[in-house]
Amino acid sequence: MSLRLLSRAVSTRTLSSYSQIRHLQSSVPDSSGFSGRDNAKNNTNLEILDLALTKVHDLGWTSTAVARAATELGYSSMAHGVAPHGGVSLISHFMDRALDETCIEVDDQLHEFPDTTERLRFICTTRLKQTLPYEQRWPEAAAILAQPQNVPLAMQKLGNLSSQMWYLAGDKSTRIDWYARRSALAAVYLSSELFMCEDRSPNHQDTWRFLKQRFENMDKAAYIGSKTVAFGEQFSRNLYNILASRGYVSH
Amino acid sequence: MLSITRAARTPALARAVRGLSATAIHRDQQPPRDNAHESTTHFGFKTVPSDMKESLVRGVFSSVASSYDVMNDAMSMGVHRLWKDHFIRKMAPQPGAKLLDVAGGTGDITQRFLEYQDRVNGDSTSSVHMLDINPEMLAEGERRFADSAWVRDGRIAFTVGNAEHLESIADETFDAYSIAFGIRNCTRPDQVVREAYRVLKPGGRFMCLEFSRVENPVLAAIYDFHSFNVIPRLGEAIAGDRASYEYLVESIRKFPPQNEFAQIIRDAGFTTIGKGYENLIFGTVAIHTGYKF
Repeated sequence: MSLRLLSRAVSTRTLSSYSQIRHLQSSVPDSSGFSGRDNAKNNTNLEILDLALTKVHDLGWTSTAVARAATELGYSSMAHGVAPHGGVSLISHFMDRALDETCIEVDDQLHEFPDTTERLRFICTTRLKQTLPYEQRWPEAAAILAQPQNVPLAMQKLGNLSSQMWYLAGDKSTRIDWYARRSALAAVYLSSELFMCEDRSPNHQDTWRFLKQRFENMDKAAYIGSKTVAFGEQFSRNLYNILASRGYVSH
Repeated sequence: MLSITRAARTPALARAVRGLSATAIHRDQQPPRDNAHESTTHFGFKTVPSDMKESLVRGVFSSVASSYDVMNDAMSMGVHRLWKDHFIRKMAPQPGAKLLDVAGGTGDITQRFLEYQDRVNGDSTSSVHMLDINPEMLAEGERRFADSAWVRDGRIAFTVGNAEHLESIADETFDAYSIAFGIRNCTRPDQVVREAYRVLKPGGRFMCLEFSRVENPVLAAIYDFHSFNVIPRLGEAIAGDRASYEYLVESIRKFPPQNEFAQIIRDAGFTTIGKGYENLIFGTVAIHTGYKF
């Protein structure tokens, strides 16, 4: 009895998901027709979030800042929901914006730097300068991002940032050290960012020196890393040849 | 006295309709999208004339009004309280916000909204307009708040009205619109959403808490078993009204799934963020959100 019920229920599910697929297919031309209007409206959320960023200095990374921005633009304060998770959504919006700005800014100057590390350092500096206006409030953002429920988002944003920076610097390789290089750069960026928030030196010169040293360390580590890889490769090749000469592996 | 006679009459009415249209059971058919010229709609798994649904639904809720809260606890094992708490936390009302609580019924959403305003925002300027098509359900709500400071301060208003025709409410009056477990009982959900769009201020937020589709087939089978075998029996045992609770579980199956309802909300002019909804407990319940920009 219960088995029959179960199978009936399952067949119902299959049928309804089939009809959903059909519905999706049939609505494809519709959705493209709406996309123009949706884009126009999407700009409204971005407009609110952009204005909210100017409130961060006074109100912090909070939905109150978003609500204030919405009210100023003539919308109901309930529009603060465009940042669905409150503060962390606002931070996420800032990170997207800052990365976009960085890409635009560095684009026409990158050719002045012949060396990949120099290019990376220039991109990092440009990105760090995006955070400067929020210097006072950035430690709060870092704390919010470090909350367990926000860690996946923070990791995703950081990974994206690091990837984008390597890409801009001209690295399009897919070698085995892809992850290593990306995490190394992420570590450099993060430590410099935290350093910057505490840096009281004129024009943040200590920060830029700190950043330079981190890149030197990274190069050193990369050099050691590549030596290790080269040694490993040579060792395995030798081992293979020894085994082959003894007849343990077929050619 | 009136409510007692209605309560006694309704299950009989529902049974009569079931007999009348026993041949017209469409289990997998989606509810009609554009039904300007439709003369029939669904009432649970039965097909009924469109103009009858309103009175049939009214009958169901008149009959369950007095035991509605107890039954909600029994059917959802108390979880509906958490859903509603989450709903308000998600809404995160701002100080001074005006809420239109449609299908407000016994006042669960109103209570949580005003508690949130008092405790989190320390705000006493916000207000709620509770609207329900069913006088018996609204009377339960009025009884609940009769001794509260909120009513004394004039922060709650009660109106009997139809969510599809909010004529008594002017354009752009409210900051937030909520409809919790109500919209699937309406004859034309798309019309309800359009009215919501009209009465909300620019930037206002439409939020709907409603039973939805469980996507996982195994869980869906368990859920269906609970719905079709446990809930009607609970209804019979606790509320003495099996037919009404059969209607409740059937109407859940006839309501559009998450994606389709999100599209209805967008078609009414609302902007949705991301998918436009959040599933709770594998999609047993979904919260849909739209913004008027």
